[in-house]
Amino acid sequence: MKLYLALTIASLKMYFRNRQALFWALFFPLLIMLIFGFINFDGFNSPDVGVYDAAENDASRSLIDSLRGSDGAQVLAVSVGSREEVMNELKFGETRAAIIIPENFGVPGEFAELQVTYDERYAQERVVISTVLGQVTDALFKEVAQVPSEYRVENSIGISESFIEGQGQGFKGWLIPGIAAMAIMQTGLFTVVFTLVRFKSQGVLRRLKATPIGASHFLAGQLTTKAIVVVLQTYVLVIVGALVLGVTVGGGRLAVWFDLTILALLGGALFIAIGLAVSGWAKNEETAAPVANIISMPMMFLSGVFFPLSIMPEWVTRWSQYLPLTYLADGMRAITVEGAAITTLGSELLGLAVWIAIAFVIATRMFRWE
Amino acid sequence: MTTVDPVIVAKELRKQYEDITAVDGISFEVRRGEVFGMLGPNGAGKTTTIEILEGMRDADSGQAIINGINVKDDPTAVKAIIGVQLQQNAFFDNLKLAEIVDLYARLYKAKIDPVEILSRVGLESRKNARYAHLSGGQKQRLSIAVALVNDPVVLFLDEPTTGLDPQARRQVWALVNKISENGATIMLTTHYMEEAEELCDRVAVIEDGQIIALDTPDNLIDQLLETGFKPEKRVREATLDDVFLNLTGRDLRD
Repeated sequence: MKLYLALTIASLKMYFRNRQALFWALFFPLLIMLIFGFINFDGFNSPDVGVYDAAENDASRSLIDSLRGSDGAQVLAVSVGSREEVMNELKFGETRAAIIIPENFGVPGEFAELQVTYDERYAQERVVISTVLGQVTDALFKEVAQVPSEYRVENSIGISESFIEGQGQGFKGWLIPGIAAMAIMQTGLFTVVFTLVRFKSQGVLRRLKATPIGASHFLAGQLTTKAIVVVLQTYVLVIVGALVLGVTVGGGRLAVWFDLTILALLGGALFIAIGLAVSGWAKNEETAAPVANIISMPMMFLSGVFFPLSIMPEWVTRWSQYLPLTYLADGMRAITVEGAAITTLGSELLGLAVWIAIAFVIATRMFRWE
Repeated sequence: MTTVDPVIVAKELRKQYEDITAVDGISFEVRRGEVFGMLGPNGAGKTTTIEILEGMRDADSGQAIINGINVKDDPTAVKAIIGVQLQQNAFFDNLKLAEIVDLYARLYKAKIDPVEILSRVGLESRKNARYAHLSGGQKQRLSIAVALVNDPVVLFLDEPTTGLDPQARRQVWALVNKISENGATIMLTTHYMEEAEELCDRVAVIEDGQIIALDTPDNLIDQLLETGFKPEKRVREATLDDVFLNLTGRDLRD
């Protein structure tokens, strides 16, 4: 035990003195996260708006069409649903505003009030939506009512505004756990592969084998180090991401850090095992690098790290949902964004467990000391 | 540690790789306090022989006994009492020398002062240097320092000066002589004849996995001279280089 501790401390020293490894484990994912986070892909899309149409007449349909925009130039991304659906979408962060069209909308001579509820966290989107709504109702009023222009829209259509605070985290909330999962993959896979393959090709492992203790204790210390790094890295990425990008983690649940640690360790175990398999097989860095990249690259883009899988074609998602990184990213996201407890992540944990078992079987068969 | 004499006993060692016989019936003994050299061209079987004695490889047949322990029966016990410098030695790039020595001492469960061990190989001033920043000669001296952490009964040095410049080589020689003067038993391999002549009490010349001569350097030279051998261009004395080339009948490779 004392020896194991000494070996772990020694390999921690080796790790933290390796600036290159630190760059790839911490600064690189952090950089990617902040760049993507500040680009804020939410802003590129038309704001999502839910509409409940109680009137269901020509005037209300015309209003909805106008909100959508015409000639392929989308103004707002409008989805129509029941009052309850529309309000729920807003509450869970799927839309930025909910518009309720009253029954008497477009009825001549009556005053109809549109009720608009905004997610107060998205001020920019609120301005866009309210501007669009003002212009559209104004134009519509003139067209439908066919009244002289001196009559003002306020006499017939009113807009009442209210605010709620939605729960969703948007793209930033999506991004942080995705990047954290990706970083676990990179650390597990690449640092294990590169240190072990180098130790193997340089003869470090052979020299250890010449000692009475052998190299397995050393390997255990090395793997413990990677597991520690994986957990620290997850903390740093999630905390910095949350602070800088302004995202709440796990709905303020304190146990979220415990759950994240467990999940990070599971993900770490999985990718460390894959790293062991690769470094056991590869004779030198030249052969190890492409293999590690072939394993990690597709997952980076097919496991929903940067973008939801829902934007991918169905033939991709049909199998990419079973990728190791998909399970890890989904689990991280459920914990950080939705505030789910780790015990509720049945399919993710099962998926990870199966992959860990497969990876360890392959690793033990593939690993060679020389 | 009580030492059994002879410290090293090799009996009819054989090792076959797929298509070549690396070691083909090698037998010799090394006495306590002796510096024993194994000479031979690359591929002669030196490293395989030494690695069998170190417990790094299993022989197909024959016996290797270190200090009375059969290597095949208890390689761990043998590893605990020997000091090893492998032909290809590497340590951790990002550790300081004192940390490396300390780590290895722990692997041997030895209680030592890392700085004292480093001072024995003349590296005490570099104790806070990283391994990656050492010169070739310093790396080789460090690997000897690491081999000394467990106060070994026998020290195995596999080509300790290969690839070193003449000054660094002489430093290693001085170091080996100093360790030997303190009573250590040393077995080394080399393909430098000058090195064997400088360091070794006795040498075994190996060719194609077999010992083709075994004696003190002086005796080997004398035996050659008795056959009427005259070195080219030299009037009187032959060197061990001549002995080696005469025995193996070929030029130094590598």
